Amino acid sequence: MKKSTIFFFVVFSVLTVVAQETVVKGSVIDGTTHEPIPNVIITIEESLQTTQTDASGKFSFPTDVPLGEQILKVEKMGYVTKRYPIIVNEGQTLDISDMTLDFDQTDTSTMYIIVLTDDELNDDTTGGADNVSGLLQSSQDVFQRTAAFEFSPSFFSVRGLDSEHGTVLINGIEMNKLYNGRPQWSNWGGLNDVLRNQELSSNVGPSNYTFGGILGATNMNTRASEYRKGGRLTYSSSNRSYANRLIASYATGLINGGWAIAAAVGRRWGEEGYQEATFYNSNSFFASIEKKANAHHSFNFTAIYAPNRRGKSSPNTQEVYDLKGIKYNEYWGYQDGKKRNSRVKEVDEPLFIGTHYWDVTESSTLQNTIAYQFGKSGNSRLDYPGGANPSGAYYQKLPSYALADPKGPDFAKAYQVEQEFLTDGQIDWNRLYDANITNNNSGLPAAYALYEDRTDDVQLTANSIFTSDIAEHISINGTLNYTHLKSANFAQIKDLLGSNGLLNIDSFDHIQYDLENPDNIVREGDTFRYNYNLYANVLSGFAQAQFKYQKVDFYGAFSISNTNYQREGLYRHEVYEHNSLGKGEKQNFIGLGAKGGMTYKITGKHLVDINAGFLSKAPSLRNTYSNARENHHIVHNISVEKIMSADASYIFRSSLIKAKLTGYYSKIINANEISFYYADGLSSFEISENQTSAFVQEILQGIDKQHLGLEFGLEAQVTPTIKLKGASSIGQYTYANDPNLYLTSSSFTNENRIDFGRAHLKNYKLASGPQTAYSVGFEYRDPDYWWFGATANYFDHIYIDISPLIRTRNFYLDGDGLPFNDYNIEEARQLLKQEKFDDYVTINLVGGKSWRIKSYFVGFFMSVNNLLDVSYKTGGFEQGRNASYQTLKKDATHPIPVFGSKYWYGRGATYFLNGYIRF
Amino acid sequence: MIKLYKYIAVAAVSCIMIGCVKDDDFSVPEALGTEENKGLEALLTSDATEILIADLKLKYSNNHRKPVFIENDLYLKGYVTSSDKESNFFKEIFLQDAPNNPTAGIKLILNQVKTYNQYNVGREVFINLKGLYIGEERVGNGVLTIGGLVETDQYGTTVKRLTEKQRVRQLFRSENTLELIALPLEFSEVTDAHIGLYVQFDNLEFAEDLEGARYFDPVQDFDTSRQMQVCSENLGYSYFPMETKSFATFKDVLLPTGNGTITGVISKTFDGSALVLKVNDLEAVNLSQQRCTPRSIEDFEIIFQEDFASAVDLKELDLTGWTNFNQAGSVKWVERTVEQNGFVEFNPLGSGNASNVGWLITPSIRKDASAYLYLNFKAAQSGVRSATNIIEVMVSTDFNGADVLSATWHKLEAFLPSQNSMENEFLDSGFVDLSSYEGMLYIGFKVTGNGRKGSASGAYQLDNIRILRND
Repeated sequence: MKKSTIFFFVVFSVLTVVAQETVVKGSVIDGTTHEPIPNVIITIEESLQTTQTDASGKFSFPTDVPLGEQILKVEKMGYVTKRYPIIVNEGQTLDISDMTLDFDQTDTSTMYIIVLTDDELNDDTTGGADNVSGLLQSSQDVFQRTAAFEFSPSFFSVRGLDSEHGTVLINGIEMNKLYNGRPQWSNWGGLNDVLRNQELSSNVGPSNYTFGGILGATNMNTRASEYRKGGRLTYSSSNRSYANRLIASYATGLINGGWAIAAAVGRRWGEEGYQEATFYNSNSFFASIEKKANAHHSFNFTAIYAPNRRGKSSPNTQEVYDLKGIKYNEYWGYQDGKKRNSRVKEVDEPLFIGTHYWDVTESSTLQNTIAYQFGKSGNSRLDYPGGANPSGAYYQKLPSYALADPKGPDFAKAYQVEQEFLTDGQIDWNRLYDANITNNNSGLPAAYALYEDRTDDVQLTANSIFTSDIAEHISINGTLNYTHLKSANFAQIKDLLGSNGLLNIDSFDHIQYDLENPDNIVREGDTFRYNYNLYANVLSGFAQAQFKYQKVDFYGAFSISNTNYQREGLYRHEVYEHNSLGKGEKQNFIGLGAKGGMTYKITGKHLVDINAGFLSKAPSLRNTYSNARENHHIVHNISVEKIMSADASYIFRSSLIKAKLTGYYSKIINANEISFYYADGLSSFEISENQTSAFVQEILQGIDKQHLGLEFGLEAQVTPTIKLKGASSIGQYTYANDPNLYLTSSSFTNENRIDFGRAHLKNYKLASGPQTAYSVGFEYRDPDYWWFGATANYFDHIYIDISPLIRTRNFYLDGDGLPFNDYNIEEARQLLKQEKFDDYVTINLVGGKSWRIKSYFVGFFMSVNNLLDVSYKTGGFEQGRNASYQTLKKDATHPIPVFGSKYWYGRGATYFLNGYIRF
Repeated sequence: MIKLYKYIAVAAVSCIMIGCVKDDDFSVPEALGTEENKGLEALLTSDATEILIADLKLKYSNNHRKPVFIENDLYLKGYVTSSDKESNFFKEIFLQDAPNNPTAGIKLILNQVKTYNQYNVGREVFINLKGLYIGEERVGNGVLTIGGLVETDQYGTTVKRLTEKQRVRQLFRSENTLELIALPLEFSEVTDAHIGLYVQFDNLEFAEDLEGARYFDPVQDFDTSRQMQVCSENLGYSYFPMETKSFATFKDVLLPTGNGTITGVISKTFDGSALVLKVNDLEAVNLSQQRCTPRSIEDFEIIFQEDFASAVDLKELDLTGWTNFNQAGSVKWVERTVEQNGFVEFNPLGSGNASNVGWLITPSIRKDASAYLYLNFKAAQSGVRSATNIIEVMVSTDFNGADVLSATWHKLEAFLPSQNSMENEFLDSGFVDLSSYEGMLYIGFKVTGNGRKGSASGAYQLDNIRILRND
């Protein structure tokens, strides 16, 4: 990926003799500005010993380096990599000062990063599968880069693992949310230009900052003195998630008085992304200021604020896609001639981080950090307590519903609703206003209201990270962390749509949401429905030792954590009168972790890398409370989740070819999953009035999952200008047991739960994106600073997310506890077969050019994704509405299923254009 | 360098200022209902003529009770009486012809749920009838309904709901919502003609055996009928059912035990077998008064009673002291027994006479000036389908026991069956006050009809005639 140049004419010789030990040290500066560059990775190619430059651009190998003629590789992301031949003589010090690195005008990685993290593909607007491109973007590994940049639009997940298994840190502070364990990428979106200083440790490998998850850890460093002096203005245009983006950034570098300042502002906006009415509206601000007090102490303060609002798009059934195309979105409708989206995600969580850097001794550093984050995140949606479902794609408004008429297909009606859906099929906002105003005149509360599910977090984190090279070959890391979270969760009225007020009761079951305040009329800005706080305290520590020798490197790490959760209800729910208000019982979890690994260097070209780890951790808040909105209940018999992972790699590196083959095995044990949906066809006497449908919480507990597979990456620099690359991932991600399933619901007469026993999930595939992915491609880099590349990517083994409830005894038992009379195992097997999506190929193009005009660099970059406009499913889920054999079988006999699975489609052909000026 | 920095700053600020995405600045639309009003205006200024609800219903009756397709430019104006807010109505709207003192109601079926937030109670609506149908949703249920389509099956042809498109194009609201004045009715007064009207019943309560019961009986699948009762001047109670859907939000609410007033819409059971009252919501139910105590038979002294226990089926009535007189035609009152119940009947059907008028006159009863006397009886109709085929009850103080027509007869007010009453169902007459008469009283029952084959005449039946005294 990087241009490598070998400077045969520069041979450094011995400059000074200090002692009898062999030392290799030096410094690196920017070829244009002559400013020192920190965090440059210096590698001795034969032994693969590496070190990094410090803030003043200096480095020194702490351990003995191999003698004789060696190649020193000097690399940093964003710069052209250089390889210097050196001669190391025993007992002498080799000082190579002021090696220069030139900024890489054609660096694709920085461009790609822009494309992908801005998309925030992992967030819930686009689908069930989430995305780790943000985690891997700084990787140098060809497989990981391919995964991040070529596979991620297909919701490929590395090793089939969610992003909760990857740890994202900013200045050593963990950014994964306690609620679901996932990083909230929006919190720093649009600030790519100032968040490039990243350090990734992959998978179980050692990180200097954290024990990390089994997918690895990435740390973003915002220390002001480590930014290269200069400014940059970037404009981008795209038809993916936003239309326009502008970022301006400037850093002073270290200036007089030991100060350094870096700042950036960004804006991303657009009326509509790829899907209909997915507007995008985000501003980003970044400021970091550092004061070096003296040689040992430095203080840095960083503020990041990236408020973000965007319109979401809906998953749809195949019937809907067939009628309206893959850009269709059911969440919007016209108002005042403009598209108004009812589902808006808004994240507004400023982050402040203060860090004290202390060089305790020559070889030890201590980094103390306090971070404070507060703000809100909200997802809006329409409530319709007194009106019909306003969605244009409501199942009763679709042809399938007419065709499923109990009296036989009603073709006339099907045609008529189809025409209606084709010509309209969106929310009629005016009708909603009209309904509310009509109700006002009748003295009735709102028929419709727009509200927001809110989570307002206040989180305080403090940590200390200690690093010391205690001996020649040994370094140790240790951290101590404390996190306190108060998470306020409630629903809030955003827009009453012309109404005078909304009645705060469950209009479906006529249950009071808050008995303390029954029949309360709520207005805009008021909370309603549910209102509770979650408190979490996490105290954790981690210790690690790394040993580096000529032939072998190895490490070992341990972690321990204590997590406690508590819920405080602010409403007294009518059904859970004595179990909803006030503080609930504290839940406490102790987690332990241990991992170790080694790299064995057979020669400089052939390496073997082996890692293994075990981790137990508290379940996330989301998976601890079975229905936090209504009561204190926690998942029955809850305990820690256990994760095991091991991998082994063979690495081949020559000046021509870099290749890596990895085999891995991970197992997740005793996980919980909680989901909410409306279930039809329930068979139990414990549902009020013997009904068979209810809005339920499904608790799947004790889930084991198995992830195994092979990863392969290859890069070949066939000529100085042409590089070929290839990557593949062949995995198998499955449920490994039959977990227990129970349901809870305020509609059940059994207040606790209805146990459905085992869900027969073993060997079903996990819906974690393509389990097979291949990529081949090339890059051409012209010496005249223009370049282009293309890749072809193939994806296969993509599976639907199965509904566990359908795979319990509820499926085949009638209400009396005996199997359905017409139960036929063969037919049942057919109905429960997991849907596998079609395989597909995407072709991506990328190219750019840059110029240097005096001291300015000007460049542009363009990429086209999915050039052939292939339409493909990235994921989907079975609707839980047909929960029994009879209902599912009946729906399957309809010409088009009424409650067919819902899918997400990938984008068709899209472009991204980026231009910048740098100085 | 400084200069460029400034440019960047300006560019950054302006991009934030200019590049606004207006995603959250929506206000209440002002032109709501404009489209609909345009449609209404067009309808009212067109050549279409208004048809009254009653006249529209006649089109159906005159078409041998088969759905009528409206081909002409007709429109109908009505006021919404029903509300599905509490889900006690489903995809249907009842309309009446005036906000107060309505004379006719009709049902409209459409493919829309939660209509209440659009077609609210009291809303003036106009229906462009051209292209729609008037008929029944279930053959013979007697609930005249405007529909958008028809469907024929083995039972006959019925009307189906208006499609969404038909609704938007043919059903218009005006800006007016008027307060409906509920039409006060007694149970016994309710007839098919009241279907769709917003009515009020006073002094009623739910039957004693419903104490602790809820509006909906969870054992049932669709609708629950709950008996309402009124202590009238009658002995015991008169009854009328209230029907509640299984989807009604208030279905699990306990029935109130007090006495008071209920307002609602008159409709029929699904099969059309009985008239029922349906409430829009529980605000319509105001039963907070003390329960009433009906008059008991023990409060009275029975001074005359005839239950026709000795009747011989189809024998001409010849009880001692009674007068059986055919004023016109050949038919006379006959004795009947059905399921061991004896009663008397006057049935002109099949006699072939153009006119039949029959009198049944009781023996004389002595009445002192100071006494309080009441008449009570049961009467039923069978096959009566004409407004001219009636029964009357009268009293005379100067009847000589033989010459009916030369005596003076005073008409009495009583609850009597008519063509609108349930067939073969004996109705209680109520307590007919005779206190203002004195001397020798004779009570006469007079039935008028004709006897032509195929005519609309039916029979009237009488039973349990009593005279009661209360001093």
